[in-house]
Order: sequence, then C-alpha cells, then structure tokens
Amino acid sequence: MLEKKIEMTQAIIDQYGAINGDNDTIHYDDELAKSRGFRGTLAHGLNVMGYAAGLAAQMYGERWFTEGELYTKWIAPVCPGDQLVVTIDNDGTIEGRVAQGTTMVGYARLVNT
Amino acid sequence: MTRPSEVKPREGDQPGTPYEIFEIGAELPDMAFSITPEINTEYLEAIDEQDKNYSLNGRKVCAPNVLSVYLLAVLYRRYPPIQGIVVYDQLWKWRNPIFADETTDLIASGKVTEKFEKRDRKWLRFSAQFRKTDGTIVAEANHTLHLPE
Repeated sequence: MLEKKIEMTQAIIDQYGAINGDNDTIHYDDELAKSRGFRGTLAHGLNVMGYAAGLAAQMYGERWFTEGELYTKWIAPVCPGDQLVVTIDNDGTIEGRVAQGTTMVGYARLVNT
Repeated sequence: MTRPSEVKPREGDQPGTPYEIFEIGAELPDMAFSITPEINTEYLEAIDEQDKNYSLNGRKVCAPNVLSVYLLAVLYRRYPPIQGIVVYDQLWKWRNPIFADETTDLIASGKVTEKFEKRDRKWLRFSAQFRKTDGTIVAEANHTLHLPE
C-alpha cells in the first residue's frame, strides 16, 4: 500500500485553482461556502484526484503512461485544516480520508488495449 | 503554452448554462491547446508531485493527469458554466505519453452522453478524447457532474 498525507490549506487550493483556471467561488469564499453548509471552502476534486494519480504512477511505473486507467468518485469535501490521507492498496483500490470520514474512492489499474 | 484559463470559460464571465439546455449527443467541438514543460512543472507542484516518478524509457514524461485541468474546458466552451457545479466522478484512460521535454500540441473533443435527475439532483455526463495533431490518441475521459438548481 502507498500513502500520501496532505495538510489542506487555502494556499494549496489557490495554487491548484491558478492552474485549473476556474472561478467557482465555492473554492475561494469561506463565508459563502459556510453559508451553503460546508465546513469551509472546498478543495478541488481534481486536485485530490491528482494525489491518487501520483500514487498510481509510483505503483505501476512506466506502464502507467500507456496502459493506466484511473477512476475516482468524490463523496465528501476536503476543506482547509483537514489532514487528507490518500491511499492506494496493492490491488489498486483508492481511498481518500479526512477526520470526518471517506472523501474519495476509486481504483487505478493497468488495462492492455 | 496554453494555460487552462485561456481556453476555459470561467464561472460568472458569461451567462451560465441551465440543465435544460444540455442536449444528449451534443458534440463538444475541437479544442486546440499545447502542453509545455512549464505547464507540467506547475501542475506537478500543484499536486505535490516529484518529476522523478515520471519517465518512460529514460525520457521524462508529463503526469498524464495534467490533462485533467483542461477537461472541463471541452464542455464549457459549448456550454458556459454556472456557479456551483460539483464534480462527481471521473474515469481516465491514458494511451500515449506526453513528453515533458517538448511542447505537445493537442486537440480535445467530446460529446454529452447522459443527463438525468436522481436523488433530487440534476446530473450530466460527458466524454472527451485527447489526441495529438497527427491523430494519435493520448487519453480518453468520462466525467459526471451535478448541476445546481
């Protein structure tokens, strides 16, 4: 199993948003996010996916770049102040967790085409 | 270099697309963009990755998921976004590498594949294909979103 831990911050969200090129206020406006029932601004789902993809690249090596398949589903938010732990099991099962529970599930595998 | 913000309509910049307007089967037209070493480096930094994990036969390659920052642009160029879209799931298949020591010109296109209402939410699913200018397929993706009321 491989694991990555991230202490989520607004700076990380902003950095990802700069390259992602979005302007969705839910990622940047803490007051607005809380008014919509969240604990704070939301990390981009694709940012969280990127951590899992990194673990998959590490696990599968060169074949990942021509045979890799990655599925991720986001089921709960990651907010500033959360410690996010992303894991990939030996069978490719992916999970992202914060203190409140599971935030992302999925899998990574090699598929010959 | 093409930054995603150069090709992706941003939320609030123009009137967004309500659920009713999306058409199943609608083609998402070609979007040309370039991946450069600089974009790959910035992306790796944003996801806290090291480039040592990315090489193929001794040559540096981009993180294949660098394409993920361009995916929504394929949809948004035909259907400008409204505030509050939430990503639900995503499936990627990487087929050919993007080398990290050169600029790669790519074309992405797609299709709206499903829209449905479930659990009091409105959902949209689309597919996209990324290919080089010579037609070589680099990656394919399927993405599900739910749209705000």
